[in-house]
Amino acid sequence: MRSSALFVKKRDILKPLVKLASVVCITLCAGLVSHFVGIAPHSLSVVSVCTFIAVICTTIFFWEYRVAAAFLGVAVLICTKAMTLHGMLKATELDIIFFLIGMMIIVGALKDLGFLTWVIQSIINRENMTGRAFCVILCLLAALLSSVVDEVSSIVVILALVFQVCETLKVRSAPFVIMAVVATNIGSASTMLGNPVGIFIGNKAGFTFSQFLVGATPVALSALLATILVFLLIFRKCIREINDRMAERRAQNRGLGPIVRIPHRRGLFVISATVLVIAFHHQIELLLGLTDAENKNALLIVTPIIVAGLLMACRPTRARYYVEHEVEWWTLIFFMMLFAIAGALEEQGVTQNMAMKLGAAVKGGAREMVPFVLGLSALGSAFVDNIVFVAAFTPVIQSLVERSAEYNVLWWALLFGACFGGNITVIGSTANIVALGLLEKREHTRIAFREWIKTGAIVGLVTSLIAWGMLMILQSPIPAHGKPAVLQIEQTDGPLHEHRMSPLPSDTSDL
Amino acid sequence: MEKTAYGKSRPLTSFFSVDDVLILTGDISREMLIERMLEHLGRNYGFNNLGQYRDAVWAREGMSDTVVGEGIALPHARIDGIDRPYVCVSTVTPGVLFTEWKPLVRLIILVLIPEDTPDLYLQILKALSKILVKPDVAAEVAGLGSAEEVLRFFDRGGLILPDYVCAADIMNTHFDFLRENDSLRCAIDNFTSKNLSEIPVIDADGDMVGVVSAKALLRVCLPDYLLWMEDLSPIINFQPFVHVMKNEGNSWISDILTGEFPSVQMTSPAISVAGEMTRRDASVCYVLNGRKLMGIISLPLFLNKIFRE
Repeated sequence: MRSSALFVKKRDILKPLVKLASVVCITLCAGLVSHFVGIAPHSLSVVSVCTFIAVICTTIFFWEYRVAAAFLGVAVLICTKAMTLHGMLKATELDIIFFLIGMMIIVGALKDLGFLTWVIQSIINRENMTGRAFCVILCLLAALLSSVVDEVSSIVVILALVFQVCETLKVRSAPFVIMAVVATNIGSASTMLGNPVGIFIGNKAGFTFSQFLVGATPVALSALLATILVFLLIFRKCIREINDRMAERRAQNRGLGPIVRIPHRRGLFVISATVLVIAFHHQIELLLGLTDAENKNALLIVTPIIVAGLLMACRPTRARYYVEHEVEWWTLIFFMMLFAIAGALEEQGVTQNMAMKLGAAVKGGAREMVPFVLGLSALGSAFVDNIVFVAAFTPVIQSLVERSAEYNVLWWALLFGACFGGNITVIGSTANIVALGLLEKREHTRIAFREWIKTGAIVGLVTSLIAWGMLMILQSPIPAHGKPAVLQIEQTDGPLHEHRMSPLPSDTSDL
Repeated sequence: MEKTAYGKSRPLTSFFSVDDVLILTGDISREMLIERMLEHLGRNYGFNNLGQYRDAVWAREGMSDTVVGEGIALPHARIDGIDRPYVCVSTVTPGVLFTEWKPLVRLIILVLIPEDTPDLYLQILKALSKILVKPDVAAEVAGLGSAEEVLRFFDRGGLILPDYVCAADIMNTHFDFLRENDSLRCAIDNFTSKNLSEIPVIDADGDMVGVVSAKALLRVCLPDYLLWMEDLSPIINFQPFVHVMKNEGNSWISDILTGEFPSVQMTSPAISVAGEMTRRDASVCYVLNGRKLMGIISLPLFLNKIFRE
């Protein structure tokens, strides 16, 4: 007994040490490689690369320490002068953070107003529900909800429905949790509201809400329909089981849960008004004269803040609760610090160098780079939180877009790669992790990495192929706000990292 | 496992000698008897704080009676400042009235336990369990003529203190349960009439299949999504309860049954009961023999056994 206890103790100590050693090794290797291939030519750029990789590795190996690592990463960058304080504040993307805060408060108010309760009851209340219908409705609802509210809020609501139905029917909820999460991730790619990745890319690229909708929704919808077909095939046994239980219950004249008349109109009005204003934000911005580059997507960002402000004004007794409990401060702070660390890469010219290397490595132009970016971001997002990967990759694409507008298609490749790739593994996106946490808390069970990847890999592959095909066929929208500057590359005799890029005057850069 | 302060597999007789045995043949009251036994120990071991010990013994006697078997009493107290247990054994031939509704006591074992050994009393009790089940033991020991014979009796009995107290030693074997094919109405009746918050459910073979709880019933009536609303006025007249009330006769308890429950095996150390209840944030732990339900240990019962008995 004592030797086995000792062994367990030893293993407990060894495991984190091995992980820590891995973080250090990967970080050092990344720094060395980036230096020798010319991506990080000088010491400060090596520091920025090492810091970024160290934070990413920490999020992979020591998930609970990710915020601490991000904080320390920012401190390292500032203390080593790899990033200025001003640069750090600018890179934290406060506009996106405010947008997310606003949306989280709105979702909190929607819960409070009974709207989301009404949504769930509408499904439970459906007569003659079959297993297959439940599966299809679950996926469609998850996708729709995540496209309107953020993916995390959406998954909380959808899982409440899954747990209610599965617990009532005494069936294993894990397959339905996987369905809900995957559909949520796919749906979240369809609008700017769905995923922090969406608003981040949309804002960085300068897409309006409607442009984003036109570019993303057809692909997301096609991917969703294909995914539903995959689910109907993979989970046919579970669907048959739930179908039989539903039939039994129906025969006993018993429903799937209590049905109560819930006043939902106010909530419906709030969400409809928010989505409508956001949908027409570009037109309203034109009306208000908010057309300069400094006010890029101003109304898109401000609308959730306005609606959240109005809701808190209408419900002053709940305002503090919304701010304190409905806003995921932990996640948002992590995002801010991560954006700042990615900003250091940009400040040190690492991303520009990467873009040039990428452009040189992939022959044939933007369209040929689509599968590369799509595949890389899908694989990257499968193992790293997709926002981490997008934050790293965005400056690279920005640099490429500055060279030619045709590279705008890469924004979409990045978006779909990040959102669809998040489905591949159990740790691929925030929604997956939240869902697992809820499942663990509720049913004291976990979904094994292997169980998830069996479905996730198939769905990830199918949806990525669909995205690739559609990006090749369809004409992707060009950002309305984007003013890509044509860069003049001053060829010098030195190595690639000595290239200096300078934008041409803006009057010649309108493409 | 580490050797405890009082050793491993220690016989009960290692705590007392012939000098600690009193053979009484005359009539005596409970108060007088305990007083005499305490004074006897005090004389033998030179106690300075006899008053404090006396108070402790009487405080324990005041909580509940200490009659542990037919004709056997085990008055005891936890004493701060002593470094080992002190035991005084007394036989009273005519018997002593300890509790009005119980037979006269003829074998009395007074135990003073150091305060830092919370399970020692339970270990002694378990060691005595061999003789407690026999109906005539008290009379048999009271009939012995000398202290040496009494000591030999305990020696012969092989009364060994166990290394630790098992879950079975502290479990309650009288409990309510439901059958898995009982209706929801049956469960609700049990919750309300017997003031229970959870009831174990067993199958036809006596195997435990799960637990139904009042909390689970409440959650079926009020799912999470209804509680997202701060304003509960849409359900102010208990509307969500209606669907349960309408169907309680034709719904099985499986609707509120959970197969996840805190449980330990009978032979598991009693400390694992505390571990299980703490880990699962539960107030009841089920004691199983294989899968058969043998007893239950509620948190108050557990605390009483460890802190007070």
